[in-house]
Amino acid sequence: MTFISSTIKTDPISIQIFANLFASIAEEMGVTLGRTAYSANIKERRDYSCAIFNKDLDLIAEGSHIPVHLGAMPLSLFATARHFDFNPGDVIILNDPFTGGTHLPDITLITPIFFNAQLVGFAASRAHHADVGSRFPGSMGLSRTIDEEGVRIPPLKLVEDGKMDKNLLSSLLQRMRNPKERLGDLKAQLAANEIGKNRFVSLIEKYGLDEVNKQINNLLTYTRFHTERLIESIPDGSYSYTDYLDDDGFGNGPLKIAATITVDGSWATIDFNGTDKQTEGCVNAPFAVTLSAAYYVFRCLLPPGVPANGGTFLPLSIKPPRGTLVGAAYPVGVAAGNVETSQRIVDVLLGALAQAIPGKIPAASQGTMNNLSFGFVKQDGGEHTYYETIGGGMGAYPGKMGLSGMHTHMTNTLNTPIEAIELSYPVRIVKYGLREGSGGDGVANGGDGVIRSIEFLADSTVSVLSERRVNAPYGLDGGKPGKPGRNTLIRNGKATNLPGKSSFEAKAGDIITIETPGGGGYGKPSS
Amino acid sequence: MIISIIGIDVGGTFTDFVLWRDGQRTIHKVLSTHPEPEIGVIEGLEELGLMRGNILDVDIVHGSTIATNALLERKGARVALITTQGFEDIIDIGRQNRPELYSFWMDTPTPLVKKDCRLGVAERIGSRGETVRLLDISQLDTLVQKLKEKNIDAVAVCFLFSFLNPAHEQVVEKRLADSGFFVSASYKILPEYREYERFSTTIINAFVTPLVAGYLDRLSTGLGPDLSGNLRIMQSNGGLASAASIAKQAVQTILSGPAGGAVAANELGKLTGTRRLISFDMGGTSTDVGLIDGNIQFTTEFNLDGSPIKIPMVDINTVGAGGGSIAWVDAGGVLQVGPESAGSDPGPVAYGKGDKPTITDANVVLRRLHPGHFLGGRQRLDTEQARRAISKLADECSLDMLSAADGIIRIAVSNMQKAIRRISVERGYDLRDFTLVAFGGAGPMHACEMAEATLIPKVLIPQNPGVFSALGMTVSDVIKDYSKSTLMRQDALAAKVLEEIFTPLIDTARADLALEGFDSDSIELETYLDIRYVGQSFELTIPLEDFSDGFITAFHKMHEERYGHSSPQEEIELVAARVRAVGIRKKPDEATTQKSSGQATPILTTKVYFNGWHETPCYNRENLFSGHKITGPALIFQLDATTVIPPNWEAMVDAFGNLILQVKVKR
Repeated sequence: MTFISSTIKTDPISIQIFANLFASIAEEMGVTLGRTAYSANIKERRDYSCAIFNKDLDLIAEGSHIPVHLGAMPLSLFATARHFDFNPGDVIILNDPFTGGTHLPDITLITPIFFNAQLVGFAASRAHHADVGSRFPGSMGLSRTIDEEGVRIPPLKLVEDGKMDKNLLSSLLQRMRNPKERLGDLKAQLAANEIGKNRFVSLIEKYGLDEVNKQINNLLTYTRFHTERLIESIPDGSYSYTDYLDDDGFGNGPLKIAATITVDGSWATIDFNGTDKQTEGCVNAPFAVTLSAAYYVFRCLLPPGVPANGGTFLPLSIKPPRGTLVGAAYPVGVAAGNVETSQRIVDVLLGALAQAIPGKIPAASQGTMNNLSFGFVKQDGGEHTYYETIGGGMGAYPGKMGLSGMHTHMTNTLNTPIEAIELSYPVRIVKYGLREGSGGDGVANGGDGVIRSIEFLADSTVSVLSERRVNAPYGLDGGKPGKPGRNTLIRNGKATNLPGKSSFEAKAGDIITIETPGGGGYGKPSS
Repeated sequence: MIISIIGIDVGGTFTDFVLWRDGQRTIHKVLSTHPEPEIGVIEGLEELGLMRGNILDVDIVHGSTIATNALLERKGARVALITTQGFEDIIDIGRQNRPELYSFWMDTPTPLVKKDCRLGVAERIGSRGETVRLLDISQLDTLVQKLKEKNIDAVAVCFLFSFLNPAHEQVVEKRLADSGFFVSASYKILPEYREYERFSTTIINAFVTPLVAGYLDRLSTGLGPDLSGNLRIMQSNGGLASAASIAKQAVQTILSGPAGGAVAANELGKLTGTRRLISFDMGGTSTDVGLIDGNIQFTTEFNLDGSPIKIPMVDINTVGAGGGSIAWVDAGGVLQVGPESAGSDPGPVAYGKGDKPTITDANVVLRRLHPGHFLGGRQRLDTEQARRAISKLADECSLDMLSAADGIIRIAVSNMQKAIRRISVERGYDLRDFTLVAFGGAGPMHACEMAEATLIPKVLIPQNPGVFSALGMTVSDVIKDYSKSTLMRQDALAAKVLEEIFTPLIDTARADLALEGFDSDSIELETYLDIRYVGQSFELTIPLEDFSDGFITAFHKMHEERYGHSSPQEEIELVAARVRAVGIRKKPDEATTQKSSGQATPILTTKVYFNGWHETPCYNRENLFSGHKITGPALIFQLDATTVIPPNWEAMVDAFGNLILQVKVKR
């Protein structure tokens, strides 16, 4: 075991114990956030993450249900550290996708942690807020610029010396729908950060600052060790792959995403040269989203049980060119970069790695989150909106069929029960089932997509943001691609095809059918 | 009145018996006889002298893992699902989330119903209970034919919105039952909204019940006509039910064994005046932890191997760590424990068959388990083999043997403490207010280290920690849960309306308990409402004292306590009504034990490793009496467990024979 003698200067027992201790802090922060939050999006769909960092801005532990948040938190911290001198009692707020954020609904709070007046670390939480003042209710519409998507918050001190900046708070909240719910969710994030701070301090009180810092460094080294071994297991060389987004909802497309992964010993560089420039519709991904997708891919390849921390980031260099689909710059819209483009970035990186380590990479999964939202005016005049994302086929893995009807890669949010939707909204679900035969054929077949048909019982405004309606999810090693998705509207008995991204007025009696893509197959099918 | 009752808990390795008779408590253990556990049960009863035909007044209370194992091993009935056409795949899609976040492939458990056995029929009930599409009865003959061709044993009937209007389910249920199938209908098993969870619970019932019914039948035959009439089964909700009712709804027994432990811990809390307890039941392959705050805590969010079971169950968190958990060194040179287990076969290296070092082997190496006093001498311990296996492991991570053994235990405790934090700290509790009740074969061995890791100041080890779940079964009541989903706004919730909702539930509850032999004096009814703010999608269960509107204030208050905020000006809505009916049974009295005279005398003294070798006195639990004090380091032997008292701890025997352990007061 060269590893212990050369890098870790402690017993191999404490590593596990401290990994558990730090993981517990992040987990407790997450439970506090979920428990005290107001909105269903945070409580039910669990669209939030929490993390703790050391004073050098290394991620120590994170509690995340949503992979797309993974690499984004460290960037928020870097952006914040550039702007401030931290003092005890501070809390920083931000959501700006161009300074460490992902898309505007994701608001991040950062609390510096002090011990004996010395900065020792940070507690951070990020949650997807139901509305941040976009032109579109729910802040997930087909926007053309960031300014249409809601309130953009650069890193600002929301709390200073323990006192909330009430002017700042009210100036932010008054530009959002349902400010009371926003405030409730922000308070839940504050409570989560407070828990993280207190637990981190009591750990230092129990073990001493030097010991805690030593253990943190051991944990980072340990995870870095595993990441480096992983990269070393990939043969040296350059591996490129290109895939496409169907369009941006404004007639621009197909849109190219290209990546080259270069492996040199225990070091990997990911270059996105050749990717198309940023576009008119909101499918542009900020830097943080691109990082998250890259970290996600490498984390899936790590042995199970290796703690997730900044050690994964160290041997990877990621270069998304500014002003492109994977490095969005002001003033473009980014709402769908998070939910759709992030999936395609994963497909491209996996496509490249499949050439380097065939047999360890799956065929493409559905590659979209199939965002469906509708709004209608209630009898009392109130406006109500409903939002869901729909699962699809998972790509096949060597010897393993892809799962059917699941969320894949960058998200894992739950569906809403049919009986819950129908009890609350004027719709009837006509069919909800697997889309048989949509998974690509192979020695192992891709997973099947889903068919979901919804009848509107009242006039409604409907938006669909979906991908892989034209370009199919690829198969690997001779496996066939999965079937692309399809959106259909039935009005007066007549069916018409809907584009992948659209917004329209539905009449009572209309039926919309969303057929989600199947996953790609693996291996050449025998017949 | 003298109570005669026996609790029988069938576990993976041992079948435990606790008998109360003539005011005396007797414990007994036999080896479990899977896959025919009734053989071991009858054998144990014979050894206790209860099968001679002359003893007919003994109540038999039984905890069974048949349903749990059938589900985990996917060895249940051949089940078909009859559901609303167009929704045959709901049970497959579930909540559309994948089980693992960071993995490119994952195995999912085999579905309980094969795809070709999921049959849709044309029908639809709407969200107000209205008939959108009438059930076409002419389909049913073909359906029965199909089920027969497929050799189906049991059928789950699950239609959308049947909790509002069960008419269609009832028609199909009757037709299939008349054709000889075992039928499980969702409106009966769980009349609540959220189709996936309701369907899953109903299907699991269809899957496990025929097997359990067969077992109960064989057991009854073995018991004979007189004793079998006295047989009751422990349910997951911490209460008992007649064998006859379990033969229809075996889904109620998924947590049968752990529920016994929870009841026992709760009773022990009441007996000793301890309000807040963490139960810590560590066995050979898994560890169950639970929280008691004046009473057992319940959940309706239980999930076993990917299948939700939404009936009320004791809130137990299980981790796959036990005495048999295997220690190993990963590629980074770091010591890991579990999740793989040596189980009971091959078992720990010290048992003679296995070759992978386990937690038990670490305890053998540290000499916390004594070869001459382990399980009453029934299991041989090969110390040399255990030392060899741990030494080999120690070499792999550049440690000496003792540090590796000590590390295995510290890591295991660190892994298990996460389960305790999950049910306590993460729900807003401060563990410094709690007492740890340790039981199961391995619980008392790790209790003090666990208490130190979680900051729990006090440990309680019951008199017979190895048969504690069986003991709990003897002091349980009969409990039946009823519920009904009814979506209703605050302004509609007049006392009269509530009464109308509850009356049929209460009538059914009383009738069911009367069938089990309870008169109205021995029945207690608890009523609850599931309430939420309008527009929310999660509910709180609020006790309903009477039909006045006090529950509204209670809801806001609980919302404040649980989530840190409430909105008394906002409208609330009722989601479900619940009735818990308790048939109170007479309980045996826990007798106080003999007072001690003088000091406890060790039976031997040996060297035990606690961060260095310590000369350690060892006691026989049988020789410890009320008032005895023991200072650590010490070991306490008994037939069913070994208690480890580290050097900085001390123990006292209380009036009921329990061991109370605390960190030594510094003088």
